[in-house]
Amino acid sequence: MQHIECTNSMNVYLRIIVLGIFSVFSLSSTPQEKTGPSYADILQGFNDPARWLTYSGDYSGKRHSPLAQITPANVKQLRPIWTFQTGTTTRGRGFETTPLVDDGVLYVTGSNNYAWAIDARTGRAFWRYRRNLPSDLTYGASAPVNRGFGMLGNSLYMVTLDAHLLSLDRRTGDVLWDVVLADYHIGYAATLAPLVIDGKVIVGISGGEYATRGFIDAYDPATGTRIWRFNTIPGPGEPGSETWPNDAEILARGGGGTWMNGSYDPELDLIYWGIGNPNPDYFGELRPGDNLYSNSIVALEAGTGNLRWHYQFTPHDINDWDSNHMPVLAEIQWQGQLRRVVMVANRNGFFYVLDRVSGELLLGKPFTATSWARELDEDGRPIVLNDGSKGCLPDPWGSTNFMPPSFYPELGLFFVTARETCATFVPEEPQYELGRASFGGVVFIDSEQGFGALRALDVRTGELRWEFTYPSPTFGGVMTTASGLVFAGDHAGNFMAFDAVTGENLWHYQTGSRIWGAAAMTHMLDGRQHVLIAAGTTLTAFALPEP
Amino acid sequence: MGTGSVLAQQVNLLEFDPRAARTGGVLFRAQCATCHGADGQGIDAIEAPDLTLLAMQDGITDGRVFQTIREGVPGSIMPPHDFPDLQIWTLVAYLKSIAAVGSAEPPGGNAQLGRELFLTNCASCHYAGDIGGRLGPDLSNISARRSQQALINSVRDPNATIGQRYHTVTLVLRGNQRIQGTIKNEDAFSIQVMDTGQQLRGFVKAELTELIREPDSLMPSFSRSALSDEDIVDILSFLHAQL
Repeated sequence: MQHIECTNSMNVYLRIIVLGIFSVFSLSSTPQEKTGPSYADILQGFNDPARWLTYSGDYSGKRHSPLAQITPANVKQLRPIWTFQTGTTTRGRGFETTPLVDDGVLYVTGSNNYAWAIDARTGRAFWRYRRNLPSDLTYGASAPVNRGFGMLGNSLYMVTLDAHLLSLDRRTGDVLWDVVLADYHIGYAATLAPLVIDGKVIVGISGGEYATRGFIDAYDPATGTRIWRFNTIPGPGEPGSETWPNDAEILARGGGGTWMNGSYDPELDLIYWGIGNPNPDYFGELRPGDNLYSNSIVALEAGTGNLRWHYQFTPHDINDWDSNHMPVLAEIQWQGQLRRVVMVANRNGFFYVLDRVSGELLLGKPFTATSWARELDEDGRPIVLNDGSKGCLPDPWGSTNFMPPSFYPELGLFFVTARETCATFVPEEPQYELGRASFGGVVFIDSEQGFGALRALDVRTGELRWEFTYPSPTFGGVMTTASGLVFAGDHAGNFMAFDAVTGENLWHYQTGSRIWGAAAMTHMLDGRQHVLIAAGTTLTAFALPEP
Repeated sequence: MGTGSVLAQQVNLLEFDPRAARTGGVLFRAQCATCHGADGQGIDAIEAPDLTLLAMQDGITDGRVFQTIREGVPGSIMPPHDFPDLQIWTLVAYLKSIAAVGSAEPPGGNAQLGRELFLTNCASCHYAGDIGGRLGPDLSNISARRSQQALINSVRDPNATIGQRYHTVTLVLRGNQRIQGTIKNEDAFSIQVMDTGQQLRGFVKAELTELIREPDSLMPSFSRSALSDEDIVDILSFLHAQL
């Protein structure tokens, strides 16, 4: 049993556990049992301001809330109303979760596969879950993080560091089912927030630093039965295999992790998902070719997992510039036409706009000072100017990373945390050994030259509208609200609010730990807008003073 | 650590030695009981788990227990221990000797009938296998933890012992709305409950007009006319089949 009580003595509880056979008697006003959110509710996105039911708040990945109680005029009064302490830490990484909220209860995952149901009013826990993890984790040991739950009805969905997918009962934290995604001994792990769509729970996998082969899976929400799997590295003879050496062994360990969440277009019934680096990360000589579908975005048919289209951002990556980002879906005016697009600010330093129906590239433009490439050719391939032999390149964490960006439709601005860094890559042929990483080289990072920035990009041109710089490269994510605010976090631990139009910093709060991989979420409760951010070992809720 | 040690962690060297548990018990009281309690049942204030329930954990093996003692639990107050391998194996043997056990034998009733009785009488509040409610404790592996007689007693008199997370409370809100449920958490200013509709709800105490701690469990007692001893044995047989 892995369920742990939050305050009361587990031993006492279990010693005097009551076998109950209970019929509700003497209760004159028995509340109706709530069944939790349906797919139709998740589809509603931000329509119910009291709810946040999926990682980005809705399927589009914009992380743009319509809530407007907190404004540029009053945000200076924003203050913490409670702090939740996790009691579990991830030194070197972050508390990366986005809480979900429904009926005043927050559902939160943490480091080391802890999870909680928390009273959104007070920050007090209803229950705590802790997975009994093996001590011989592979990739999961070096990134013992988690980015959140998926939710459907009374079920929560969570992936684990030993590469399982769990369903928990949201009322108690008890495990309803537990299925294996992959064998963690090889190097697999899982850290993302499952994407729940109609009749399916979609997940990806971590482990591209090991001799693994990535995939995107769909599972039955009720039973955990696998419905389909899309392998991100083709098998011998399959489409895409022509971009690899004709060697089944190389393909089988080709990497291509899928460790960040995807987004979903319910009308097109397409899932958009980013794919990570090929393995070995830095030593490209073992894998000549473009190495599809590494460093790509794929559009998959939700019903079957079949590939509709793909676009590769970084052919034959040798810098570990995974393309594991939240794809942002929007409808924008493009040269006089309303286009359905997917937008990605990529680890390779380029901001991309693609038609999400066809995969046609509309825009690709650098948003950092990267010397790797400054333009794309007519086929959408980067024109590489510096492969590392002409000065330093962005480090393996890239020009941005998986920390969520945000898109503000009314302003046409895409807000991204940019990283300006300087690294030298030294590839070395790796020795493959089961359960050991195979980076294929080492990297020297000149930390003197690094800094970070929150950047506002005009999505029609890719041009920088404004920026706010941080002294160090940052992994904090971004959320916007329709009142004209941008909420962002930095590596020094500041949680901040900016004027979305001007970039002026309006408010900041020192959380005490760097904000790493997390982005804010917001919801209404008792007539007050709450804003939450995870940092270090704390989840903090903010609101304006009570009237 | 050499290959020999790795192998030693996988193979319980004292598996068949009857003296091991006694020796381990001495070591346990000297080295472990401060945190895990003299009875091994844990101390909540420091989050030291109940070791008598180790066997309930998924994927638990002697080797895993050995490894946890050897390496500790990083990020917790459980330290690593450099005891000789044989001493750790005596601790493993001791922990096995104090493991909570219920009825090893099937109760001997009719599990099929028990399932029907469970669905009619219990499932609105209790979970077992893959069905049931969440207001009361999950009974999926109860028969491994508790004796048959103790379980029968709980059905006949549920108020005799009430689990800490199952104490009944009635909250009176402004406007006289009454909410009944079980207390999941509480501090001086707020209370978190699962209401009888099985929804988690948090309340600020200052906003309540009354907070009534009920002496009785929400679970009714079942007389012999409501559920015969045979009926209960049938239900226990169904629960035993969930193990």
